[in-house]
Amino acid sequence: MSGRRTVLTALSLSLVLAGAAMAQRAQRAQVAVRIQAPTPDQPVFGQTDVEVGVRAGEPIDRVEVFVNGKLMGSAKTPPFRVQVDVGDDNVPREFKAVAYTASGASGTDSVVTQPVQIMDELNLKLRALFVSVIRDGSRNLGLGQEDFRVYDNGVEQEVVTFGRDELPLTAVLLLDTSESMREKELEAVRRGARAFLDGMKPTDEAMLALFSDRLLKFTPFTADKAVLGSALSGVRSAGGTAVNDFLYLSLKALDARQGQRVVVLFSDGSDVHSVLPAADVLWKARAGQSLIYWIQLGGKRKSFTSAWRDFQANDKEYDDLEKAVRESGGRVLPVARVEELEGAFRNILQELRQQYALGYYPTNAKGDGSWHKVEVRVKGFSGRVRTREGYADY
Amino acid sequence: MRARTEAWYRGELLLSLVAAVWLLTDQSAWAQAPAGSLGQEKISSERMEEIYRKILLDWAAGETDRAPDELIQLETGVIVDGEPKTRKTLFEAEQRVIHQVGTADLEVLVPISVLHHEAYRRLLERRTRGEAVAMVHTRRMARDLAVLYYEQSGSEGAALVTSRVLTSLGGMLLQSAQQLPAAEMFQQAVDLDGHNTAALLGLASIYEKNAQAESAVKILRRALEAEPGNAEAKLRLALNLKRLDQAGEAEKLLGELVAATDPSWVTPLGFQELARLHSDRGRTSEAEKVLRKGVERFPNDPRLKIQLAAVLDRRGAAGEATAIVEKLLASPSLSAATDASDRFLYNTVRPEAFEPARSFLAENSKSRLPVLAQALSAPAEASTGTGVGR
Repeated sequence: MSGRRTVLTALSLSLVLAGAAMAQRAQRAQVAVRIQAPTPDQPVFGQTDVEVGVRAGEPIDRVEVFVNGKLMGSAKTPPFRVQVDVGDDNVPREFKAVAYTASGASGTDSVVTQPVQIMDELNLKLRALFVSVIRDGSRNLGLGQEDFRVYDNGVEQEVVTFGRDELPLTAVLLLDTSESMREKELEAVRRGARAFLDGMKPTDEAMLALFSDRLLKFTPFTADKAVLGSALSGVRSAGGTAVNDFLYLSLKALDARQGQRVVVLFSDGSDVHSVLPAADVLWKARAGQSLIYWIQLGGKRKSFTSAWRDFQANDKEYDDLEKAVRESGGRVLPVARVEELEGAFRNILQELRQQYALGYYPTNAKGDGSWHKVEVRVKGFSGRVRTREGYADY
Repeated sequence: MRARTEAWYRGELLLSLVAAVWLLTDQSAWAQAPAGSLGQEKISSERMEEIYRKILLDWAAGETDRAPDELIQLETGVIVDGEPKTRKTLFEAEQRVIHQVGTADLEVLVPISVLHHEAYRRLLERRTRGEAVAMVHTRRMARDLAVLYYEQSGSEGAALVTSRVLTSLGGMLLQSAQQLPAAEMFQQAVDLDGHNTAALLGLASIYEKNAQAESAVKILRRALEAEPGNAEAKLRLALNLKRLDQAGEAEKLLGELVAATDPSWVTPLGFQELARLHSDRGRTSEAEKVLRKGVERFPNDPRLKIQLAAVLDRRGAAGEATAIVEKLLASPSLSAATDASDRFLYNTVRPEAFEPARSFLAENSKSRLPVLAQALSAPAEASTGTGVGR
């Protein structure tokens, strides 16, 4: 009996010991892994730090990081951080971390990051086209919705909204007051801008921005003509020219507005001091819905070099700026003499009032940034039809 | 160095030679000098000499505000644009006085040169129209006297002084958009003092502006050898290397520039251009990171914010880009900027760049004023036939 108890005691003790060892091994084998960055709600582009938290009962040998199943790097010491380059595509990505202990045990965690959601919103946006139709010098042609056909990348679209001179206008008058502008020119610009503002309806709004290499004066968007008019006085020409920076700023400010949106730029177009290339303005013009009109003083391109760009680069800037204007559906108005300035401002306002506004939901939108060529045809019409040349599908 | 400089001047500095030759000739040749006019008043060349001598006396007495204005009054009063003889008359009158005092002590040429330099600076500042010939005259006087001082002295100290006069004049020429004469001044300044960073940067900026990136790179490497931590030299070198498709080295230099703990006026430009370089190479995420750091470091720089908004827009973060622009447009500081932007200064000239040269000249002029006073107090006859150029 006593001998049996001894055997039983020894057996139970060995079981207890075995149980403790198993528990210890299990504890050692348990490797808790958590990806701390990026988080699932975070859009991720380019160089990205992947941070991994690890808890284990024994030393960690390494932590490996995978993106979409591909091993991108590993870390051996805490904090476990691996920098990976995930590229610039706006797509979901799976980040996976695997931690290994010295004994070979492992643990894992994964996170799927999401693309920027703004694309989905844009896909649902109505594309607005402002169309100028001119026959024999006249824009008053009495056309109706049924007269227009809209093609988006060659695919005919259903026109869902139609109007003329009905939408409120939001304008940015972006006026170059750099030191090359003499007082005579400045005065003519003031007169032109006032003529534009005087022609605005009570529902229209404008922002006035006078710039050189810096913003010399600007107003918020307002329908108050007194506020806008007072901003025109008391400005003297100074400094260089940064068209791209302030044209981008104007287009961006118009993003949040509704209705017919336009930037009226007055400048010789010789951008010297912008940090943004005209290619960024072109991109913005393609991605947005605003029209750009460029009153081009001097009328002719001036080839020049500066500390920022050489002749070729400056020529390209000029070309890209012209392209941005054209593709937006606006146009360049060359003005050879200051006396013509006021008329140019009046013409633009008149043209905007006489444009047909057509709206459609693109049936072929993908939100992939691709270029969509837009064409508007008018039934039985052989005159000039002008609208934006296309848009970037974001 | 002196031999090389002399070679430079042989063909270039005609006026300097004229002055030197004049100093070697007998004054009696000018005894019957023609007369000029000062305003409505017709004055003889002797009277011009008298007035000029009085101005130098005021300058030597420490009348630093009054004397340059008096000189401007004399020179703009006598010299009439379109009438070359008026300048010749004045030139000869001034040279006679300089000869008299210069024979006593060569060092007097420094404060007289600096006086003309100051008169030129004030004329430029006043943007006086219709005084072009007088401006050119007083600038040439400043330059020729400085060069003559070095030619006659040949010392290292004289080289430093002359180099600073040329540098400062070059800076002023650059301010009035006269690039080629400015380049000539800077080149001569660099020949006299190879460590003159202001002159090297001035010269490089002209090459850069005229699309001569290779020449600019050579000069800028010299500037960085002379002053390895010079932020402006790093930025200009990086941008010129980028033009020459050497983006790797450009990126390294810009990286150093933005990482420096002690910011300079070009540091925000460094952030802008580094981000631009990344964007140009399709690395918009890197551009974004750089710009975020830049905005954090320079929260009042609107350009960094505009650039960040544009990069975010391209990366699909249109909402954040809009928020940045709206906040910027609501900021009163946006249109409160009365000073030229950094990007404008980079392409033109930053007057502060030449302040060290001007301070150096002011000190060197001041220390020699007692010598000038003494030379002016000596009877004119006693100095004839001795000293300079003999």
